[in-house]
Amino acid sequence: MLLTGGVAAAVVAGQRGEDANTATTTVRMVIGSEKAGYFADPDVVEALAARNYTVEVETSGSWAMRELDLTTYDLAFPSSQAPAVELADRYKVRGPLPRPFYSPLVVMAHRNAAEVLAANGLATLDTEHRGTLKMAAYLDAARADRTWQQLAGTAPYGELRGTVFVTGTNPETSNSGALYLAAASYVANGGRVVTGEDGLDRTEPLLRKLVTVQGAQQSSSDAVFRDFVSGAGNPLVWVYESQVASLLTDGQRPDDLVVLYPDTTVNSDHTVVPLTDAGESLAGLLATDEELRRLAVRHGFRPQGAATGFPSATAYLKQELTGVRQAPVPTSAILREMALRARE
Amino acid sequence: MKRTLAALAATAALLAGCTPDAERDRSDGPGPEPGTLRILASSELADLAPVLDRVREDTGITVKPTYTGTLDAVRLLAGEKTDGADGDFDAVWLASADYLRLHPAAARKVVSETSVMSSPVAVGVRTGTVRKLGWRPEDVTWSQIEQAVRAGRLTYGMTDPARSNSGFATLVSVASALSGAQSALTDADVAQAAPRLREFFTGQQLTSGSSGWLAKAYQRRGNVDALLNYESVLKGIPGLTVIRPKDGVLTADYPLSSLAGTPAATRKDVRRLTDALRTPEIQREITARTHRRPVVPSVPPAAGLDTTRRRELPFPGSRSVADGLLDAYENELRRPSRTVYVLDTSGSMAGGRLNGLKEALTDLTGEFRHREEVTLMPFGSDVKSVRTHVVEPADPEAGLDAIRADAGGLTAAGDTAIYSSLQQAYDHLGPGRDTFTSIVLMTDGENTTGARAGDFDAFYRSLAPDQRDVPVFPILFGDSDRRELTHIAELTGGRLFDARKGSLDSAFEEIRGYQ
Repeated sequence: MLLTGGVAAAVVAGQRGEDANTATTTVRMVIGSEKAGYFADPDVVEALAARNYTVEVETSGSWAMRELDLTTYDLAFPSSQAPAVELADRYKVRGPLPRPFYSPLVVMAHRNAAEVLAANGLATLDTEHRGTLKMAAYLDAARADRTWQQLAGTAPYGELRGTVFVTGTNPETSNSGALYLAAASYVANGGRVVTGEDGLDRTEPLLRKLVTVQGAQQSSSDAVFRDFVSGAGNPLVWVYESQVASLLTDGQRPDDLVVLYPDTTVNSDHTVVPLTDAGESLAGLLATDEELRRLAVRHGFRPQGAATGFPSATAYLKQELTGVRQAPVPTSAILREMALRARE
Repeated sequence: MKRTLAALAATAALLAGCTPDAERDRSDGPGPEPGTLRILASSELADLAPVLDRVREDTGITVKPTYTGTLDAVRLLAGEKTDGADGDFDAVWLASADYLRLHPAAARKVVSETSVMSSPVAVGVRTGTVRKLGWRPEDVTWSQIEQAVRAGRLTYGMTDPARSNSGFATLVSVASALSGAQSALTDADVAQAAPRLREFFTGQQLTSGSSGWLAKAYQRRGNVDALLNYESVLKGIPGLTVIRPKDGVLTADYPLSSLAGTPAATRKDVRRLTDALRTPEIQREITARTHRRPVVPSVPPAAGLDTTRRRELPFPGSRSVADGLLDAYENELRRPSRTVYVLDTSGSMAGGRLNGLKEALTDLTGEFRHREEVTLMPFGSDVKSVRTHVVEPADPEAGLDAIRADAGGLTAAGDTAIYSSLQQAYDHLGPGRDTFTSIVLMTDGENTTGARAGDFDAFYRSLAPDQRDVPVFPILFGDSDRRELTHIAELTGGRLFDARKGSLDSAFEEIRGYQ
């Protein structure tokens, strides 16, 4: 999907072209939808124009990019390494794939839900709006089909009824949903990444439970996020930290929101697959340019190698990801098999 | 489920067909046009017209909607009996993509869903009834509603779940709540809840293919206590207390999606439209005008939309559960239908018209529900025969075969006695039974003999009140007189269907939603 950003950039670049002799390079890219806001940000457009780049952006689910014909694009920018590696293979891209920024997956919770989880040993809270989800305890509860009404302290909250579960996206098509399975399978597999048939068999019953309990699943993390924001949907949703962070940088301070960092989670490594020389130089710029890295933070992303977090939103977000174990992500073939089995 | 599915595919084929009233707006012109988006949209989105006017001023993008039921749209996209609408539309905007995702062929056509606003399923109850029942609106549960229905203290109307997302979301909400399912519904949940659901649906006194007609019929009838629909629809009907049951509801989130295979420029326009719809100004306008809830955090829901939370009931994750529930509703759970087809077989029908009618009736037999009583009443100068068949669950084909045989034996002769024949249809139906009862009138000409319009008016007014609740659904066909048929629809609380632009097939099929 083309964004207005591309058009705006062309205008800005044109104006600049009057007093600068350098030619502007137009870079066509297909990106995960969660980065659309970043590339549409007028400051990003301007920063790119100042470096003589115009971008034309279309969005796609990270795993759905393999269905696209990318031959007319300069780069693909999925939200995770596994699909990027697969695309690089297909288009014979050599060399390391730049990973300009990353974002851990977190659980957004309504306050009463977070407090009930904490009171029942499934979570701990650091502040009113921030805490830790204890994955092993949560997965035990899921295994036992634990319901909210079986937990202590839910009586006053009529909406906390039914099985306790986290709502994610369809893991067959959407990256965040696949990474939910990656994190859960790592814990369920005894703290080891699943690499083959044994691990798939061992984790399958639990993963199927985590998925089927949700019923129909949304196809993008934005939809899950919007449902939560509009007050509909499940009180626990699996989203990118960047989605929460960009909500907070907009100046919102939702009272009824607690960000739970799973004690074992997965990082979404936004990984560039350069398909042309122009794509490759833009990828380098995204990874190294201070201004572009600073602007990435505005959209909730953590630039690779930067120590800083989100100083203006410490009540909700962790500055450093200490105490959060990063589970490695299985290969894309394993992850796909996992998703297929879970949704059978 | 096979029968229901076939039925729906047929509707899909006719989507563009008849224009029963202002609710449906056909996008004209075949090809794409720059700056214009042809959108296949849920029918209740007609209320967004003023908002879309403003978006056009802001962005230069004109939206040309083609309104349809959500489930029909899914079948259209899935390409059942059609080419999947390729090239006819630039985008899709449905109440929910949940059902669509269960159909892989349809789901593949849709890319980048972006939710624009939301509205939960709710129950709108006459304020006087709420008082009589002693309910506190914020505490009412589905079980309480069920108890009131069982005690004979509450009747309601809802849209047909096989056609309309509001009906389907309501059905899933009720089934989830009454089955006691703790997570997404399974086949076992549905089977186990069947007895309770059957009792719950004895309270359903009105059915409709669209939310718009449902509201009109409710106001006309005056003896139905409640409507089950989206909160946004119910908030627009005066005199209703809108209740979101405490034990959970399904919420529509109105995703606006591009279609795979459209040009990049079109997808860019869809993106611009979505961005415009999500600006705080437009979100404020949406919630103020349409009572839907915003999806951007900086805009609060309009005054009067209660923000206390409700459990979100999961939508079934598999097609077998979703279609199994629909099938159970149509064939087992809801009150049966009782339908009289008053069919013009006068001399003017001879040839192509009569053959068309026979074919349409034969196709229609794929759509009758179990337990349905169907009467064929062909007429010319007077009623030629009255043949009644019941689709018995034990052997549905026997009844359907008999209907097909009768349809095949129709012959064209005589004048056109519309009003006398209608009177005979009411006489045949007699006093009310516990069914959804209606009359379909198909004629290709004006009344030429027998009772006159004034006679029929007097006859209708002399009927007992429960007989006056039986609507006539006239079909405009051939040289029939729109004014005459409109009058019959208005007098009896029915609705006019136009088979002149589409086909007789599609008119019959669309009427199914009202039977």
